Parts: sequence; structure tokens; C-alpha cells
Amino acid sequence: MTNGNASSGDWEGRYFHVDQILDRPGPRTDPSFLAGEEVKDFLRNKCKILVIGAGGLGCEILANLALSGFKDIHVIDMDTIDISNLNRQFLFRQKDVGQPKAIVAAEFIMNRIPGVKVTPYYGKIQDKDDDYYMQFNLVICGLDSVEARRWINATLVNLVDPENPESLKPLIDGGTEGFKGQARVILPTVTSCYECSLDMLNKPTAFPICTIANTPRLPEHCIEWASVLEWPRVHGDQKLDTDDPEHIGWLYSIASARAKEFKIEGVSWSLTQGVVKNIIPAIASTNAIIAASCCNEAFKIATSSAAYLNNYFMLIGTDGVYSYTFEHERREDCPVCGGEALDVSIGKEWTVERLIEMLVEKQDIQIKKPSLSSGAKHIYFQAPPQLEEATRPNLEKMVSELVPDGGEITVTASSLPFSLSLRVKYV
Amino acid sequence: MKMTESQDIEQATTAIAAQPDNKTRRYDRQLRLWAASGQAALESSRVLVLSASATSTSILKNLVLPGIGHFTLVDSTLVSPADAGNNFFLNGRDSIGKSRAQEAVPLLRELNESVQGEAVVSDVKELLSSDSGREWITGFSLVIAHNLAKPVVDDLAALLWDDLANPPLIVVNSAGFLAEFFISISRALWYAASPHTDAIPTLRITRPFPALLQWARDLDLENMDPTTHAHIPFVIILVRAVDLWRREHNGALPTTMAEKRAFKESVLAMKIKPDEENFDEAEQQAWRVWSEPAVPSEISALFSLPELQQPSTSSDTNALPNPTFHALLRTLSAYVRLQRVYREQAAAEKTLFKELLAQVYPELAQKIDPDEVDTFVKNSHHVRVLRGRPWRAWDKERDVVVSSLSATPRESATHLALSALSTLLAQSSDISEITVDSLKKEVQSFVGPDVELPEEVDTAIGELARAPTADLPNMAAFLGGMVAQEAIKMITQQYVPVCGYCVLDLVDSWTGIVG
Repeated sequence: MTNGNASSGDWEGRYFHVDQILDRPGPRTDPSFLAGEEVKDFLRNKCKILVIGAGGLGCEILANLALSGFKDIHVIDMDTIDISNLNRQFLFRQKDVGQPKAIVAAEFIMNRIPGVKVTPYYGKIQDKDDDYYMQFNLVICGLDSVEARRWINATLVNLVDPENPESLKPLIDGGTEGFKGQARVILPTVTSCYECSLDMLNKPTAFPICTIANTPRLPEHCIEWASVLEWPRVHGDQKLDTDDPEHIGWLYSIASARAKEFKIEGVSWSLTQGVVKNIIPAIASTNAIIAASCCNEAFKIATSSAAYLNNYFMLIGTDGVYSYTFEHERREDCPVCGGEALDVSIGKEWTVERLIEMLVEKQDIQIKKPSLSSGAKHIYFQAPPQLEEATRPNLEKMVSELVPDGGEITVTASSLPFSLSLRVKYV
Repeated sequence: MKMTESQDIEQATTAIAAQPDNKTRRYDRQLRLWAASGQAALESSRVLVLSASATSTSILKNLVLPGIGHFTLVDSTLVSPADAGNNFFLNGRDSIGKSRAQEAVPLLRELNESVQGEAVVSDVKELLSSDSGREWITGFSLVIAHNLAKPVVDDLAALLWDDLANPPLIVVNSAGFLAEFFISISRALWYAASPHTDAIPTLRITRPFPALLQWARDLDLENMDPTTHAHIPFVIILVRAVDLWRREHNGALPTTMAEKRAFKESVLAMKIKPDEENFDEAEQQAWRVWSEPAVPSEISALFSLPELQQPSTSSDTNALPNPTFHALLRTLSAYVRLQRVYREQAAAEKTLFKELLAQVYPELAQKIDPDEVDTFVKNSHHVRVLRGRPWRAWDKERDVVVSSLSATPRESATHLALSALSTLLAQSSDISEITVDSLKKEVQSFVGPDVELPEEVDTAIGELARAPTADLPNMAAFLGGMVAQEAIKMITQQYVPVCGYCVLDLVDSWTGIVG
């Protein structure tokens, strides 16, 4: 038996397990599957895959891909290793704390699994251009940031050229929180995309400022008081660094004093850090499940050896094992893959400022710092400063003064590589 | 509060002293799920894993990282070229020909210096054949077995089921894209279903204890000063509103939409100024009056457990002991008073619980750790009892299996196909004898010749015939996560483990439960 390749590092029987799948089809395998040498050659010698994130999911993804036979793997991560990563990011050790995740992870994989090439990039996904993303057959994301997911999703949707089938890069995305997680397959412009499902995200808990300032009842209120009100008051322009233990320590002591004053229990160092950093609980086992699901889909897509996920798998492990596999539907008015303008109904007396507040809060939009224009007319721009200053007076104007009923407003934000079209109706 | 610079420095330095130690920082992301109590349980656990397959080492990886106390990996075989290709916890080609267990253990141990681990180069079948081996196996806190030969698993499961003191067993079987695992627990274990959450238990609004009712009735709303009026806790407002409503409605609670609306209006009508937020809050929380069961149904079901010696009516209020009260109410003097009222009630009910325990189960009450009673009472709203069944007991009830095959064909077919595969693998070491036909014949003989098999059986069997001995890296990792999650829930006794066979299909990416 041969391996379908002769690259260095391989040994007879190395892929005994995986080859049982690649040597013959199963009952649910597409007829286009080319069992045997050809598919092995593609997987092991030709397929190029990009992993975004070398953290909790990323470490698992790299190991699974390498064992499955992917040999040309690239990984991007802008973070360095922290001690709190070590309970799950199993390619890192105590001695690696402070080192770039992408570089340490790539070296570990190449040492452990011979013949696999992992190319790390220590930096942001936004540093790379379309040509860079075009070189890959598949992209897998193990990210903890909504912003980064929206960016890569929109970038891959924009990359699709109907004349060139190679330009469609399947995007596999995973995410976890505690004992829960989800994995999904996105075929840009074909299936529902990340932006289509933005309203599925949990709304972050926000406490009203008057409660924080006047009537705290929860330990979280005291911590918010320390970080939102006291920090800027005492430290002026000095920015709060949530990774600096001295800063967290200061917040903790201020929040503790506040809690004592209001007889509130439960302010702890860990809660303080959790609230200001918005920490999401994370464990090795859930990451293992979700990363395995992502890599399994990548393997099936790369080899056509079995049907792949259509298109969303979610798992909840808190009370028994519950999972749900379903097809998430595309949104016709998705700003990234839909093409149609999004209808919004607003009051005739609404100011531009109020419309901006709504855009920031609305679950299916969530644009942090939107800039607005209508045709060639600037409504409000967040940057550059001169333009911001010039358009600032418009914030107090009514939208209906600037845009006619049924007119379109274009919303952009520097963090997002797409614009959103709103069709305004006054009620 | 005015802040001087010297105070800042003092506060900053004392706070730095309070910064968590390295261990707490390392485990921070998991302590938010199972707290120090769960971590302590993990650290005192001793886990036995049988076979050093890719799946087994994946499971262990996810237990070593969060910090179990000790693991033992048993395997008598040598690393094959295939093992070296699919197991991350081997040194590739260099491990070929060496002991699987001995090669894997150091690579697992380096994941977490505080975890102890050892390799035992023995055959499980031989261990089970001696008394000392059998006794040794029962000395762990949890046993996990992957793809062991069917007669060996059956023997192991029977041994562990035999005595209530024996550890639970997780049986894991996989081939290609299909897998299942089963938890065999002979003891009934209790779990806290949702520990460390802010899920608010009943506030006893519709079943107030005397101190609560008295407070609500004593309120002199007309002559109260406006500040106090604006700070009556919403719970007290609701207790009072319910009390008044019942008097006017022959003791009944609001049920129809119109009644609920009228009730809410009665709450708002108590306002003396429009901006009294406590009355708005009471109106928003009015759903508790009609939606909050006194005792969750999972909990009331516990009172019919066969182990209970007599029907238990814990108190005349038919409510669960009060946990320490929720943080929602921690503010201002009225809230401090409210908190105290609930605390006192909780303490009184805990004492009552202990008295009942001593009365009904005198022997148990002597033996049980008082801390455990406290934890139990505190979590009484989230208690679940997990009752295991012996390994393969479900499969012996042919009628049940047959009806399951039509009710949940996909899950049942996958389970039956995996059982058939185990049977065939135990009969012959010749893999070529594992075919679609031989697997189907086995499934058919299992359910009886007159049962028509659904197409899901063909789907499952086809996948197993394709890859009967494949321990795929992705399936190993997936199972590694699933089984470790269950092991953690069992060891920490937090969250709820799965009951029955948990079946996985990674072609269509689903999980399901049968049995």
C-alpha cells in the first residue's frame, strides 16, 4: 500500500486509519468522490489551508488537521501566550508565556508531526490582502472576536468571482463558551454567511448608568462604577489596561470599598477581571469537540469523502448532551451577501444621533462607530477629525430633513470591510 | 467619596497582594464554571483509562489540562506505524515498536505539571482474570474504556456494577465516522444542574413564610415617608399585592390575561409618585406570581424515588429550603432587612432539614459530612438524581429496542450497528469478514428475523463496513472532548451527565441519545 505521495517524513502505514475512509466511499458519499491515490495526493500535497486563531480552538485545529493529513497549513494570530491559556491551549507551556501564539503553535506541530509544514503569521488578519487569501483552498476560524469574524466573512464573500470557481473559499467557523459551542460551514454567496446570523449572538449585559452611579445592588454594579466612572475621574487620560494586574487591582479595591458601603457581597478579584475584560469561561473539552467538528468538515470538503455539514451544528453539554444540527437560512437583506437594502422604520422626529444609537444597539446590525452618508451627501462621519467636525452639527438634525421617505442611507465603519444600505421609512 | 493620592497607593498595594496565585490564574477560565469546590474534586480524582488509542489519549488530554489528580493508562500493545500516524501523544516514527502506554504518558504529563500519571503495561483481560487485578481496578474514582473487546467490556462492566462502592465506568466505542459512549453508574448520584448561575429560585411570593407575610401586611403605605415608600423591596410589594388579591378572589391567584393585567394595575396603583422604580420593578416581576412553580418538576419527581423510605413532606409550606438570598436584593436598609429575613428562614429550614434527616435516616445522618448537607440544601433547587443502568441492559429488552428503532431510527440504528461491529470483531480477528452483509445479519438476529430494518440501518452499517477499525483523528478529538465533559461533570458533581447511549455521527454531524 502506498500513501499517494512520497513526501519526507511519511512511513508505511502512517495513514492506516484515515485511508480506510479515503480508499472507498460510504453510503452518503457524493458520486464525485475519487477514492484512492488522487484524493490522497490532493489532501497531502496540494491542499493549502488557513487557520485563523492559534488559541483554544486554534491549537486543537492545528493538531487535528496535521494528523488528518493536511501538510500545508498556515496560521494567523495576533496574541501572545498568557498563563490563563494553559488550562486548554495544549501546545503551550509555562516557559512560552509572553511568546506569540502562532509561532509557538507552528513549531510545536512541526516537531510533533513530521512532514507537516505550518507557516505562522504573528499579526492581524486585516494586514493581509485578497491575494493572500486567494492562495488557500479552505479557511477555518477559531476566533473569540465578533469583529474579526465579520471581517474575514465579508472578505471571503467579496472574494467570490462567479467566473472563477477557485475564488469560492469555504469558511468553517467554530466558537465555544463553557460547556456550549457551535461549528458551521459557510460557502460564501451560496449559504448563509456570518453576517446573516448576527442576531443569534447574545446581547451583552449592559447596566444602566444611573444604577451604577446611585443604586448598586450587584457586585457587577460596583465593578462598573470603579471602571466606568472612577477610573477616568481619578486617572484622567491614562487608559485602563485590563491586562495590567495593577490596574485590575486598583479597580478591585475601589469596587470592594463601594460594595462594603452598600453591603453588597461577591466582589472578588476574579469577578472584577471577568467583568472588565468580558471573560468567557473556556475549557479544553468543549474546544476539542468544536475544533474536531470544524476539522472534520474541512477534511470532508477537501476530500469529498462524505457529505459535509449543512450548515450549523450547536452543542450544549450542561444538562446531559444536547445538540442541534440545522440549516441556517440566508438573509435576503444581509449587508454582506444579500444585496438588498435593509428596511428601517423610524420616527419622523428622530435625530441623526438617535438613528446612530439604534444602529449600534440593533442585534442584526451592531456597528460600533457608524459613519452615515446618503448619495454624495455626508450625514455624519466618525473620521477624519475635520470631517467629523464638519458633520457634527448634523447629529442634532432630524433624519427626515436630510433624507426623503424611502431614501437610502449608506452606513460604513472602519472596522468592517463592507457598507450597509438602509432604506428609511418614516412612521 | 473623596480620594487622596495616599489612599490610592495604599489601596493599590493591598489589592496587588490580593492578586490570585499562579494556579488560580492558570485555571481562571474553568474556575468560572465549576469554582474551587469542583476544582478540588478534580484534583482528588484518580482516573483509569483502558487502552492507549488516539481516542483514549484525547480524552486524557482534556482531563490532564484542567488538573485531575492522577491518571493510569493501561495498554499491553506496542506502537504500530498506524498508531504513530494518528495519535498526537506519541513521538511519531520514533515511538514505533515501543509500549503505547509508556510512550504516551510522558507526553500527557507535560501538559500539566501538577498531574500525576503512570503507564501500566498489562492486558485488561489478564487484569480481570486475577482477584488482585479486579480489586486494583475498583480502586479508582472513574474508569474509561475505549474499543475494548466485547467480552472484556462485559466482564469489566459486571465487575464495576457489582458493588455500590465501585467507580462508574464510561464505555466508548468508535469506528470511522460513527461512535457512541455509555455511562454505567450503579450508584444514584446527585448533581447540581446549574451551579454558579444567577438563576433565581422561588422567592416564596405566593407561599410566603411568616416573617415575609408579616412584613408585607404591616406596611402602612398611607403614612409612610416618601423615601421609605420608594424603597420597599419589590418582593414585599408583590407579597402584599398577592395577599390582597387572594382576599378578594377566594384565595385564588390571577390566571387569565385580564386578571393578570388587573393584578399588575393593582401593583402600580400603590404608587404615590409616578417615578417610584420599585413599583415598576414589582410590575415587571409580576410574572413570578403565576409562573413560578413552588418546586421544579424534576425535584418533585425525586420524592417518589424507591430509595426513600417514606413519602417526604418536608414542611407544611411544601417548598424547598431557601438558599441564601439572591444578590438582586442587596441594597439599602430595606434590602438588607429582606436579605436577613430570607437568611433566617434559610437557616431555620436547614435546621428542619437536618432534623428530618436524622429522624428518617438516623444512620445516614450520623455518617454524612455536615458540609455536604449544607451544599445539598443550598443547591436543592438544582438537584438531579442520575440513575445508571447496567451496560447493555437496555439491549436485552428486545421490544423496547424494536420500538426505539422506529421512533428514533437514526440513533437506534447507529447504536445497533456499533453493537454488531463489536460482536463481529470479538468473533474473528479477520477484518475482511466485516462486511455490509455480516453486519446486517448480526443486527437482524439481534432484533429478530421478523423485524423490518429501516434504511438508517443500511446507512450506519455501510459506514462501519467502510472503516471498521478506523480511529480517525477528528473523531478521536471529538470523542475526547465529549467523554471528558461527562467525566468532569461526574467528578465535580456539577452539571448533569448524559443518561443512555450517546450516539455520534460525524457525516451528518449530529449527536443523539438512545436507551
